[in-house]
Amino acid sequence: MSNPTIAPERVDVPDSDEQEQRDRPWLVIVHNDPVNLMSYVTWVLQKLFGYPKAKAHKLMLQVHNEGKAIVSSGPREKAEADCFRLHAYGLWATITKSD
Amino acid sequence: MPTIKAAGGGEADLSLDQAETHMLRQLTAEMRALLATDIDTADDPVLRRLYPDAYEKPEDEADYRGLIGDDLEKEKLAALDTVSTALGTQNTEVRLSGEAIDAWLGCLTDLRLAIGTRLDVDEERMGAQINQDDPDAAALSVLHWLGWLQEEILRTVQT
Repeated sequence: MSNPTIAPERVDVPDSDEQEQRDRPWLVIVHNDPVNLMSYVTWVLQKLFGYPKAKAHKLMLQVHNEGKAIVSSGPREKAEADCFRLHAYGLWATITKSD
Repeated sequence: MPTIKAAGGGEADLSLDQAETHMLRQLTAEMRALLATDIDTADDPVLRRLYPDAYEKPEDEADYRGLIGDDLEKEKLAALDTVSTALGTQNTEVRLSGEAIDAWLGCLTDLRLAIGTRLDVDEERMGAQINQDDPDAAALSVLHWLGWLQEEILRTVQT
């Protein structure tokens, strides 16, 4: 018996580090600023992300007390869309790759 | 003082007197002029605050700016339009739809950010009583008045 010889197809197996790099989500961070009202920041987080009031309030307090908080995460396109909406509502938001 | 009352169905009735209407007209006109200038965002602290960088890395930021184009400016102008269209010639009595309320809250925020950034306020100054000898006393009063109006609108929306 013989097996037909099949030339192995060349497959680019992504380097695991590279794969991991690609899979890590993008984070949207809201930073503290002295002007925006606490009640307004809470309202924006509820409105844009559909968070229950308690969660939005907790995130707002984290921004206020610690200077920043991660408010959403996901693929780059989603992070950019979220960041855009936050900027449209006047919140100071940035995007970063998670560690 | 302005009054704002829930009108049911997520709408609200806003009432402003002549002086308040006049002030808001002036502020929205100034904001429109500011957004229309073609000075580089990086050169003006207020524009930098209204259009913050999304990314730290310049190449990522350039890609992002290329992607959004002038969409953010359009959003801000649309909110301004909603507010200035609602403002009467003397007093203002207006029913705000849910969408209009969002526009008002966003626009009041931009006005507050512009004044606050110009004055370079910090949290301590924002929380302190206004000293009438302060050369910025008038601007600080406007900043607080806008915040008060915003808080009242939010209270109405959330009850």
